[in-house]
Amino acid sequence: MAIHTNCDGSSRRDFLQLGLGGLVGFGLCDLLRLKAMAAETPGAAGKKPVNCIMIWLDGGPSHFETFDPKPDAPSEIRGVFPTVATKVPGVHFSEPVTKLAGVFDKFTVVRSICHRDPNHGGGNHYMMTGTPTPVPVGCGAFVTFHPSMGSMVSHSRGVSGGIPPYMAMPSNTRSGGPNFLGGQHSPFIIPGGPNAEHFRVNDVVLPAGIAEGRVKSRRGLRAALDRMKRGTDKRMEDPAVEFDRFYEQGFDLVSSARAQEAFDISREDPKVRERYGRNDMGQRFLLARRLVEVGVSWVTVNWGGWDHHENIATAYKGDALKTLDQGVSALLTDLSERGLLDSTLVVMLGEFGRTPKINEKGGRDHWPNAMSVLMAGAGIPGGQIVGATDVKGYYASDNVYRPEDFAASIYTKMGIDPRQHLETTAGRPVQLVNDGRLIRELFV
Amino acid sequence: MKFLISALLPAIGLVVFPAWQAHAEEPAPGAGNPAVTAAAAKADDIASLVIEPPVLSMEAGRPLSFLITARGLDGFETDVTDNAAVTVTVSDAATLDVEAAGVLRGKSAGTALLTVRLGSHQAELPVTVTAPPETPVSFVRDVLPVLGKAGCNAGACHAKADGQNGFRLTVFSFDPESDYRSIVQGARGRRIFPSDPEESLLLLKATQTVPHEGGARFERGSDAWRTLTAWIGGGLTWRNREEPAVTAILVFPQQRRYKKGAAQRLVVHARYADGSVRDVTALSRFDSNDKQIATVSEEGKITVDQLSGQAVIVARFMGIVGDSKVVVPADRPLPEERYQALPVSNFIDTLAWDRLRQLGLFPSEPCTDAEFLRRASLDTLGLLPTPEEARAFLADTDPDKRAKAIERLLAHPAWADLWATKWADLLRPNPDRVGVKGVYLLDQWLRGVFRENRPWDQFVREILLAQGNTHRFGPAVIYRDRREPPELTTMFSQLFLGTRLECAKCHHHPNEKWSQEDFYKLAAFFAPLHPKGGGISTPISGGNETFFVSGGGSLKHPVTGGVMKPQPPDGPEAAVKEGGDPRQALADWMLDPANPFFAKAMANRLWAQFFGKGIVDPVDDFRLSNPPSNPALMDALAAEFIRLKYDGKALARLILRSRLYQLGSAPNETNTADTRNFSRSYRRRMAAEVMADAVADITQVPTKYPGMPVGSRAMNSWTYKIDSRTMDAFGRPNSSSDCPCERNLAPAIGQALHLMNSDVLQGKLASAESQARVQRLAAGNAPPPEVVTELYLASYGRFPEAEELAAATALFPADPAAAAGRRQAVEDILWSLLNSAEFVFNH
Repeated sequence: MAIHTNCDGSSRRDFLQLGLGGLVGFGLCDLLRLKAMAAETPGAAGKKPVNCIMIWLDGGPSHFETFDPKPDAPSEIRGVFPTVATKVPGVHFSEPVTKLAGVFDKFTVVRSICHRDPNHGGGNHYMMTGTPTPVPVGCGAFVTFHPSMGSMVSHSRGVSGGIPPYMAMPSNTRSGGPNFLGGQHSPFIIPGGPNAEHFRVNDVVLPAGIAEGRVKSRRGLRAALDRMKRGTDKRMEDPAVEFDRFYEQGFDLVSSARAQEAFDISREDPKVRERYGRNDMGQRFLLARRLVEVGVSWVTVNWGGWDHHENIATAYKGDALKTLDQGVSALLTDLSERGLLDSTLVVMLGEFGRTPKINEKGGRDHWPNAMSVLMAGAGIPGGQIVGATDVKGYYASDNVYRPEDFAASIYTKMGIDPRQHLETTAGRPVQLVNDGRLIRELFV
Repeated sequence: MKFLISALLPAIGLVVFPAWQAHAEEPAPGAGNPAVTAAAAKADDIASLVIEPPVLSMEAGRPLSFLITARGLDGFETDVTDNAAVTVTVSDAATLDVEAAGVLRGKSAGTALLTVRLGSHQAELPVTVTAPPETPVSFVRDVLPVLGKAGCNAGACHAKADGQNGFRLTVFSFDPESDYRSIVQGARGRRIFPSDPEESLLLLKATQTVPHEGGARFERGSDAWRTLTAWIGGGLTWRNREEPAVTAILVFPQQRRYKKGAAQRLVVHARYADGSVRDVTALSRFDSNDKQIATVSEEGKITVDQLSGQAVIVARFMGIVGDSKVVVPADRPLPEERYQALPVSNFIDTLAWDRLRQLGLFPSEPCTDAEFLRRASLDTLGLLPTPEEARAFLADTDPDKRAKAIERLLAHPAWADLWATKWADLLRPNPDRVGVKGVYLLDQWLRGVFRENRPWDQFVREILLAQGNTHRFGPAVIYRDRREPPELTTMFSQLFLGTRLECAKCHHHPNEKWSQEDFYKLAAFFAPLHPKGGGISTPISGGNETFFVSGGGSLKHPVTGGVMKPQPPDGPEAAVKEGGDPRQALADWMLDPANPFFAKAMANRLWAQFFGKGIVDPVDDFRLSNPPSNPALMDALAAEFIRLKYDGKALARLILRSRLYQLGSAPNETNTADTRNFSRSYRRRMAAEVMADAVADITQVPTKYPGMPVGSRAMNSWTYKIDSRTMDAFGRPNSSSDCPCERNLAPAIGQALHLMNSDVLQGKLASAESQARVQRLAAGNAPPPEVVTELYLASYGRFPEAEELAAATALFPADPAAAAGRRQAVEDILWSLLNSAEFVFNH
């Protein structure tokens, strides 16, 4: 069945073919519909599971100085840098992302995602969870009212092989928590700088100074000393039984050569490390690739400092953009060369775009009415621009999408039904994403 | 697809007595148990036959459900309504018909005698049929219930924010006027077709005569269909003048004891303000609170499973809730003497043993002294006993030593930090939202409350009446965080009344009686509270605000727009003086000993700390459909808390001293499946702060927390922003997450990995500081069994058993001079103990 969608994300014909289910309780109709969609989606459930690397640029990067320059706009608006041609004729990016322009055949830029929350706290929450905050929240706020996408992926996939399914480097994002899904779906945090010589990932590898042989003897000793009787009858609901399961997996993880190698970035070919850039961010992108390779479902690379209210020209000329441009283009190229791009979703965004008019201090302020989001892998076409902003870059104007649509698309790519209902701690049913419509250009 | 209503109705005109046999339902699952069903059918085992409900009347044209019940010689009542051997006759076929098993239909005004026979048993009841009302079918009284039962206004269907394919209803019909407009005027009126009602799109869709994504909701010719057709053809009446409202629903049987595998039909009657009664069985929704005990079908048929216990089946009709209690006793009751021989320390035991006896459960063996001390220390203080405390307690031969230990625990200062932390989980706002200082002050205020053991009603009153500056008075910051009356309403009702009203903010509570009206009347208490100062929009919201009560400020109902007068749920309208603080009246109502919510909610919270779950569980979810596992105990505990003037320590003492608290965790042959009645101690994981402190205490290597004074413990921490990987791994609450949340104590992979591999634990084991336990034991020359014993006492609060001692001492090098080998043995043994379930769980 060809995917022919209307504004609601699926065709009327689909309804007729699927409309056999009675509407008992909540959302069976939607569920069937989404399941059917997901089954048809390249890279979704049924094939190799899709993992996701999210590069989060906290503060809100400028769309003008990256993927949506407005060279023909008046000087107080247009990007402060010259534009560069991309691999796709007619599409231009801004100079700070020259290397990304060179690999534009590997990703899509969505220029038309927008929302209405100009505060960092609220914008973060909206983009990270697909749900707006129910009350206004301040700019400095770290808030969660709804599970983040990473936590939901953890909830939906669970743990296998002892590897935490959701990881974040070097810290959690503001709204990256699990909310009502429970603390076990918080991200596993990998702090520290992976560019450092003796960098080690914590907790998933043996502690410093403990040899593998000693782990084996500890494991044996633990088995001998941990004699508390387990309630093996399921009806007993003995939490120690699940605890044991995690220990088994944990021991497997530290004795798995493949997993241990993945966590050890020093085992990477030095040339590859160079390609990503020998700095902590570049190496985090590389480590992210190694993590998804070994089966981590969701890796967030959290990068702060993108709130350029002043001197945006200087900032975007500096190291941050060089690091970003080099690291992300290397990541996309590397994933593609390794044949991993089909099963790895890469998204890069912040909480909003920046004001079109450059302010008195040479900076740009918060602007949720337009932003550019990089999306790649998992069947997303390369070299594609989705949507557009108006001539001066003020407002998303064509094929406008909301954060709900963004989240629904990511969930669908990951094989998770975005319309499913979850229960909050208070027992209230909530929809994972409220009326999210797929960004259809990502599903061709 | 199962049709909702039509299943009960045969095609019209096929009424032959006994008419239902052709339509007899398939036997319910569980009814396959031959011992049960056969017993029910045998006339020999029956003492008498009864028709329920005791009074039967209906309007002509309407259906009426009834039950035929056989009272057995064994004392059980069995539903034989569907039994093929029963014959049903009516004395006057012109007055009413027997339409199906257990369903009559009135034909014309009059009285007829209903007679049921099973073998030699017989029962009779006169049935009154009244003339049909002259008023037309009404949208409010007749149509809304049909739409509700058919699920049209469910949140996932036409009650989604944008409706479904352009047709939008309000969730659970919270706004009936809008629903009326949607149906009658929406889509330019094409949903209804008054000149030919049967051709209305509304009916064609609902019967799936034309394609309908939601499938067929009811059948052509069903009562639902007839109601809608009559309404459309009868002039689309909104509501009749002086139309009586529903005042109550009656569910039959109200309570019944069942054998395992039994089945029972329910009958639901609605009573209206004018005294009239209607059968609304086919229009009610049903739900079971414990599906392991009993399930209920959409038509209201209960199927009892194979476990003994209690369940509540809730029936709902137009926002009114009723229930039918299901009791399934054990098949083989244990000898009475065994229960009478159980020791009793106070009323908790009396009521608990009584309950267990009813359910055929027998309590586990008492816990050991070591288990008692460890459990009581963890539950009362969040601390493990030190090796010295454990040693002394185990050696003590005083028969009263447990009671004495309880007094020592209750006098310990750590009590305050544990309870402040528990309440901070629920009250602590996000420092990024309200600023750091206010959060810190609230934390300090809570610690003070529990240090002084301030009565629980008092500190709740202080929170309810908080005013003033958020940089001066801790509780004021709660109002800075929850800025709008509805937010406070949701939070306070859940925390202090144990009632989750959140749903009623937007629509009638789907499972309970709470309406939007109830919600906003409660919210109105907070309307005159105002802030003065910086608001929360500053970059990091670091400013302060002053909260004060002024005469201004009122709250409007979001749908009707009416100004709400403060009135507590199920309480009287509050008398508030002009310009006065209505919260005063709220506090007076809430904290009055006669208040039906507060004492129970508080006693239940306290109980849950000691038993790992509440008598009502979740602790903040009291409702008809979530009854206490032991109602008598819940009531007695609440009454005792009131009598103790809400002295938290005094109630804790009573709980700690009970024999119930002092049960072991190993199950016996009766109570393996019991996870609600406390017949054994339920294992629960140590909370994050407790775990972090325990690791530091056992290794004797304190953790330094950034930004906190030297010597601070995890239980002193006042914000999740204080860096601690251990607390993060073990799920400390994150106050940036919005909800007054209970702790999640689920095990997670990160916890196992953290204990196994983290540098935090390994660093403490490897510490060369002189006070560190491993360093001291490794560097000293105590014989290995002594070392192992100390490690066991520190981690488990007990002595090692002979086998354990042998296994652990075998690790030590034979040569006492092999220092590295001795150190590794000590490290590895302690690592193993700290990675074991016996350490991680409180048991």
